[in-house]
Amino acid sequence: MKSIVDLIKEKRVYFDGGTGTVLQGMGLPAGQSPERWNIEQPEKIIALHKAYLDAGCNIIKTNTFGLNREKFPDYQALIRAGIACAKEAVKGREEAYIAYDMGPTGRLLEPLGDLPFEEAVSIFADNVRTAAECGADLVLIETMNDSYETKAAVLAVRENSDLPVFVTNVYDAGGKLMTGADPAAMVALLESLGVDALGMNCSLGPDKMLSIMDTFRQYASVPVIVNPNAGLPEVRDGQTVYTIDEEEFSDYMVQLAEKGASVLGGCCGTTPAFIEKTIAKTRNLPYACPEEKPFTLVSSYTHAVVIDKDPVLIGERINPTGKPKLKEALRSGDLNYVLNEAIRQTEAGAHILDVNAGLPEIDETEMMLRCVTAIQSVTDAPLQIDSTKPETLAAAMRVYNGKPLVNSVNGTEESMNAVLPIVQKYGGGLIALTIDENGIPDTAAERAEIAEKIIERAAQYGIKKKDIIVDPLALTISSNPESAVITLESVRLIRQLGVKTSLGISNISFGLPQRELITSTFYANALHNGLNCAIMNPFSKAMMNTYYTFRALNGLDTGCVDYINYASAQSNTPERSSAPAAEGSLHSSIVKGLKDEAVQYARSLLAELPPLEVINGHIVPALNEIGAAFEQKKAYLPQLLMSAEAASASFEEVKKLIPADKADSSKAIVLATVKGDIHDIGKNIVKVLMESYGFTVYDLGRDVPPEMVLQCALEHECKLVGLSALMTTTVPAMAETIELLHRTDPTICTMVGGAVLNQEYADMIGADFYGADAMDSVRFAERFYHSAAE
Amino acid sequence: MTNNDVQLMTAAADTIAINRNELAERLHTDRNFDSPLLQKCQDRLLRTADYRCVYIRTPVDLQQENVCDFGFMTIPSRHLYRNLTGCQEAFVMAVTAGMAVDRLLLRLNVISQAEHFMTDALASAAIESFCNAVSEKLKVGLDCAPRFSPGYGDVSITFQQPLLQRLNAYELLGITLNTAYLMTPVKSITAIMGIRCNHLS
Repeated sequence: MKSIVDLIKEKRVYFDGGTGTVLQGMGLPAGQSPERWNIEQPEKIIALHKAYLDAGCNIIKTNTFGLNREKFPDYQALIRAGIACAKEAVKGREEAYIAYDMGPTGRLLEPLGDLPFEEAVSIFADNVRTAAECGADLVLIETMNDSYETKAAVLAVRENSDLPVFVTNVYDAGGKLMTGADPAAMVALLESLGVDALGMNCSLGPDKMLSIMDTFRQYASVPVIVNPNAGLPEVRDGQTVYTIDEEEFSDYMVQLAEKGASVLGGCCGTTPAFIEKTIAKTRNLPYACPEEKPFTLVSSYTHAVVIDKDPVLIGERINPTGKPKLKEALRSGDLNYVLNEAIRQTEAGAHILDVNAGLPEIDETEMMLRCVTAIQSVTDAPLQIDSTKPETLAAAMRVYNGKPLVNSVNGTEESMNAVLPIVQKYGGGLIALTIDENGIPDTAAERAEIAEKIIERAAQYGIKKKDIIVDPLALTISSNPESAVITLESVRLIRQLGVKTSLGISNISFGLPQRELITSTFYANALHNGLNCAIMNPFSKAMMNTYYTFRALNGLDTGCVDYINYASAQSNTPERSSAPAAEGSLHSSIVKGLKDEAVQYARSLLAELPPLEVINGHIVPALNEIGAAFEQKKAYLPQLLMSAEAASASFEEVKKLIPADKADSSKAIVLATVKGDIHDIGKNIVKVLMESYGFTVYDLGRDVPPEMVLQCALEHECKLVGLSALMTTTVPAMAETIELLHRTDPTICTMVGGAVLNQEYADMIGADFYGADAMDSVRFAERFYHSAAE
Repeated sequence: MTNNDVQLMTAAADTIAINRNELAERLHTDRNFDSPLLQKCQDRLLRTADYRCVYIRTPVDLQQENVCDFGFMTIPSRHLYRNLTGCQEAFVMAVTAGMAVDRLLLRLNVISQAEHFMTDALASAAIESFCNAVSEKLKVGLDCAPRFSPGYGDVSITFQQPLLQRLNAYELLGITLNTAYLMTPVKSITAIMGIRCNHLS
């Protein structure tokens, strides 16, 4: 029998329809797992399959949707029995294929849920190995709500079998997965992982799938599967019915076939009659397998970015080179700084964020994994994974939720041999640098030659030209005056090879004063020469000016809408140096919790007063005032928090003027929500207040094991530890942490707080101090360091 | 998806009336507290959230004392048994504000604790309001017991699992449980609401 993948190249093929619907008709009670019938009533499962095969379908789904080791101890036996039923049903039939049907685990992956990515892969892998042993013809990963879990399932199939893999996701009426991905994002992700067909099932009727099909048709290069429900379930006269009958269903399926769907079938509410009608009406429609689409796509867990004529901005700020603050943040594991940079860059207009965690003194792979996961929890911009180490690239690409850009491969044998297999496996847009064993060539023609070499070699690994973005390298004009001219010519030549281009724009002005002037003019030139992507600083006004004006001048901004929005936002933003309103003060803006105003006042005060005087004469008295008002119940917690943030923002301004080695790090505290507890609001409130009072806070986050708290306290020689717990069930973990700290170093002082605690509890678990609220904790910490100083 | 009798209900964000008393309690303020930042947080939350509910109406068998048998799950509980006294049926429901609210909270946790704190309180108050609105709608013409959720009183939180599974809550609302039986999206509620017999108003 021909492989199913080859069959789809020639003709439209058909899945079966609903399983639960038919089995409930055979007497399966609601709420009972249908998979049990694989062993208990196999004859009914075989009858189900045969009914669909008789209706004319080519592919039957095994009755194994919900099976995995987490839910069913005997999952392997049930999978085997399920496949045995399918085999019995296809006996003696031609063009009848068995799809091992694999549904979601039912758990949500980290960081939003608690299922680690690799555990998800491992759960699916167990299923796939069993299915492959039993002789399934393909794997259908279906009813997936989440792009990340879908990726885990596809990797599990790819790593544990040679079976073709089909994937269908559940889209809502808005055309998105429950966790946010749109069809273009799923096409980018799934094609980069090498699936053989993709599409949608469940949730919607065929009518609601028509518009989603349009997007699939636009972007997908592999066959598209459509397995809709029979409309939506409704209760009529006490009976559940689906809103679309087989006649209407099959009429819509004709439209879906005409829109280019290659594989048609059904899901909930559909029966053999639906499939039979669908086949009858679509069998003779003209058929063509989708052609290769030209788009260069990268994606996140929500959307795809198309790299084409419209310039793409890649934010360069998460790269420690030349950024002392980021270096410090990476060294100390302060992801909050990294996350802030990520959010601010996307707010400034970056489409993609470069992430580089390379510092000689840290474990780059581990830090890269932490950064990628954490950044993906706070922003939906696609990421460019940037490392010189292939093992770091591979690890990050594996856990990335989407199709990343990969920075980079170059023309050396070593680089191509190491990086290309990784991109082949995990998929991604690939940045290719025009450098080889002889260095960076001096001429554009030679740079283009290296690009050609990489393109050819990548093709041997199945990496398509459309997924290669060549960076012909901008070198500073301060050392070679011809540098910009050569780079621009290289961009033109390389475009002719049919690939996209990217440049690290800022390099061009290295070593020169007022770099923005040169950089932004060079960017404009590069855009006019057809540059697609720029790795750049989205906080640079000059660069953003160039970006928006170029788009407006080149017909890329219909009605100049984006330009007008940008320009009006510019005219509303005060210049950094502008003086704040005369009637207010730093003190009053902190008390009122007005962050932006407080920063302006702090800047103007700092022009006149020494930094310490701004802290002691203005910031601290304002905080004390609001703190006292809170204690006297004249101000509320939200106001206290707003004031603390205004104070912290002012404090940051002061810190810019204090050399790092003179900064007062004597007041420090380790903060953590204890193991087993995932609530961190209380701890975060304490953190903000502590920071506003100038404390250095080592924030370990939530669900922190006792050993990690101890390690942090010892590492930073910090004698003050604050622990938080919200649930009674996690108070023992708090006691355990305190015991470990005191046993190791009796001079460590522990303060505790949280909704379930009181003084009595705190005494019982051996805490040194119980903070009834955040202000109470700050006062204690101040006293602690005050008495230590004495 | 095997259970075809599950009903789905959605609500537009602008129909969610946040209860000011409930909000004040969560913010630790009095009910008149307001600020432009709170308003900004509320507008953003309601733009972000996607309120959905699934429910079934199902028989409940209370023949054995302190045992509540719903057919698809049997809950041994004195508290729930007492709550359901006089009922032969119950609504079993799950409501959620959707995953985008979780992402918003994660993001605010990085940007601003003040906004995070306010948004978290607003989101909790809003999902309660939505759940109340759904309950009111279901109650029309019926006499219902107060809502009861797994985790209340002596009802183990582990009953979240059969309850959510029966409601197709993963497929229809995207609700999943972690190993401690806490739900994601975090602003989600499950509940049982008994329907008292012979009390048709």
